[in-house]
Parts: sequence; structure tokens; C-alpha cells
Amino acid sequence: MNPEDGAAPAATGEPTAATEHASGGLPQFDVATWPGQIAWFLILFLLVFLTMKKVIVPRIGGAIEGRDAKIEGDIADARRMKTEADAAAAAGAAELSSARANAQKLATEARAKAQGELAARLAEEEAKLAATTAVAEAGIAKARESAMANVATIGAETAGLIVERLTGSKASAAELKTAGNA
Amino acid sequence: MAAPPIDPMHQFLVEKLIELPSFTIGGLTVDMSITNSVAMMMAASVALIVFLLAAGKGQVVPGRLQSAGEALYGVIDSVLVGPIIGHAGKPYIPFVFTIFMLVFTMNLFGVILSIGNLAGLELTFTPTAQLAVTATLALITFFSVLVIGFMKNGYKMYKLVVPSGMNLPMTIMLFIIETISFIARPLTLAMRLFGNMLGGHVVLAIFGSFVVILGLFGMSGGIAMLGFLGAGLSFSLIVALTALELIVAFLQAFVFAALATVYLNEVVNLGHGH
Repeated sequence: MNPEDGAAPAATGEPTAATEHASGGLPQFDVATWPGQIAWFLILFLLVFLTMKKVIVPRIGGAIEGRDAKIEGDIADARRMKTEADAAAAAGAAELSSARANAQKLATEARAKAQGELAARLAEEEAKLAATTAVAEAGIAKARESAMANVATIGAETAGLIVERLTGSKASAAELKTAGNA
Repeated sequence: MAAPPIDPMHQFLVEKLIELPSFTIGGLTVDMSITNSVAMMMAASVALIVFLLAAGKGQVVPGRLQSAGEALYGVIDSVLVGPIIGHAGKPYIPFVFTIFMLVFTMNLFGVILSIGNLAGLELTFTPTAQLAVTATLALITFFSVLVIGFMKNGYKMYKLVVPSGMNLPMTIMLFIIETISFIARPLTLAMRLFGNMLGGHVVLAIFGSFVVILGLFGMSGGIAMLGFLGAGLSFSLIVALTALELIVAFLQAFVFAALATVYLNEVVNLGHGH
């Protein structure tokens, strides 16, 4: 290939098959091999470049972008859901506190009503009781009065009998009466 | 038993594998035969396309393969193009990713497929250690930047080499410097990648030769047995250097892609600060 090939032996002094190129320096500077390598490299570069442009870069780049977008979207979703959950929790808490307030109000009202009713009933019962007591007292007074009247009569009779036994004569009823009253 | 000659350049020899017809264009004969260089380029291209297609399943929860593919894509998207060019950089991701993946795969194949040498297969060929390949890639980058720049900015592209807000003598001086540095870009891109890959592989081959030569020397017995020590030392150095070459394989692909991104940024965001 190279016109200088084999013109001078290599430094080792042994001309072998391998030294045929070494005399002219680097085999890379053998320009005869250049056109073929350059042409093939241009063809292969173009092929690889077109495959990259049309297939590989869209695929791999698309996969990476898709993943990034998915991660971003998922995070955004999660953030939105968290906000929603927080709002729901806040609403629940508010509802709970209002319900508690309502219940307290109801309880207070019920207690007040019950107390009112209780007081009314108590008053009613007390009135009934007072009436009964009054009736009973009146009865007792009447009974006592009649009893006292009887006592006077019995006293007079007893006195008459005592007088009759002692004196042998009957005391008149008027005398007995005045004596009994004294 | 005679020691084989130390010939670290043998691995860069381009050999024809399949003869194909050549054509002539503008007086230049282009031999389209499949050489070991072309075969390795093809293997790298096919491998990276198959890998990235398999990695492009697009599942929300990625598997191992998809994670690996997306990590490599992330190097370009969120480490280089995104921070350097910004939102305007999205259309250039396929271009930068192509450069990165091609260089990375070809570098990597040059290192890891050398395991085939143990089985006697001569698979150790690194297309990125061929100046023809790195120069082509550098020129693709250079002209892409130029074409994109002129499409986006038209005549305003002169701002790339003419700094604003300077007095006239300063402007002329900076214009010359900027122009030279702009034109030197494809050269530096090509030489950096070529030199790194070439150097690493030459060093590996030299230490590999040491293992054989010192081992054979040690077999002659006596004090020469110390040769085994040297051979073992050389072998451990090969192991360490292979690990280093794996890092270099990634790093050089990254550097090439990063510089391509920086150059693209200059024309995409021309006149927006910087």
C-alpha cells in the first residue's frame, strides 16, 4: 500500500511480516486507507444519527419526560388530595363543635324545662297537701270541739252523780252547768 | 526461542477483510472494501443502536437496561446540552448523543474486545485510534456548527470572531486570534481523541510485549529468572492500564461531546452574553 513499505527494517533489526508498515511511521498516516474509512464512517454516522433522531431520542427522552410529568402530576394530585382532606377534616371539626354546642344548648333547655315542671308539680302537690292538711285540721278542730262539748256534758253528769251520792239530793241541771263552766 | 519484535503499531494496521468494488469521485479512488476498521465501526454502530433500542422501552419504572440507556442519555441531556445550551438545545440532542455514543462505543470496543486476543482472534482494533475517523468526526462537528450557525444567525456569524466593545487595534488582534482558534478546532478535536486512544493502546501493547519477552528471557534459567518478576510486573501494569483505558474511553467520548456542545452553544446563543 505504502510506497515506503519494507524500504527499511524496523528498529529490532529483524525484517518480519509485521514490520512492513512500521518503517513509514504510524499506519494511521497511510493515506491510502483513508477514503474507505472516511466514506464508511460518514455512512455509519448518518445512519446512527437518523436512528437517533427518528427513534431513539424520542423514545428515551419521551420516557424520561413522561416519568417526570407523571411524578409531578402524582405529587400535585397528592397535594390536592391532602388539601381536600384537610378541608374535610376542618369541616368535620366545625360540625362536631357546632353539634356539641347544640347538644349543650338542648341539654340546658331540657334541664331548665324539667326543673320548671318539677317546680310546678312540687307547688301543685304542696297546694294539694296544704288543702288536705287544712281539711284535716278543720275536721280535727270540729272533732275536738264536739269532744270538748261532750266532755262538759260528761263532767256535768259525773258531777251530778257525785253530788247525788254525797248529798243525797239531785243537783239541778242549771247548777251543774254553772259549776261545770267554773 | 527468539523473542517476537516489539511492534505496538501492528494493531493499527488496516487490513481488508471483504473485497468490495471501489469508485472514483473527483479523481479520488474510494475503496469501499470492508476492512477491520470498517467492520469495527459497523459492529459499534449496530451494537449501540441495538442497545439503545432495547433500552428505549419507555417504562415508568425502568429495568436495568433501560436505566443504563437513560443514564447515558442523561449525560447528554442534563449534564451537557441542558446546562450549556439551555432550552434552545433540545434539537441538538440527537447530534451530540450520536457523537458521544459512537466515540464511546468504538473506544470501549477497542478495549474490551481485546479479550478476544486470548482466543487468538485479532479483534483489537480501535477505529477512534485512526486519524481518518477522528478527523472525519471532527470535521462533521465543525461543519455542522458552521451550517447551524449560518442558518440561525446569517451574516451575524461574524460576531463569533469579532469581539464587541473593543477599540480598533484590539479588535483586529482578537479577530486574528479568534479566527485561528476557530479554525484550529477540528484539528484539536481530531488530534485529542486520536492521540489519547493511540497512546493508551501503544502503552498496553508495549507492556504486553514485555510480558512475553521477559517471560521468554526468564525461561533461559539462572539469574535471568528475574525476568519472570518483570513479566509479572508488566502484566499487573496491563491490568491497571486497562482499567484506566476504560475511564479514558468514556472520558474522551464525554470531552468530544462536551466540546461539540460548547461549539454549538456559541452559534445557537450567539450574542446572548457569554
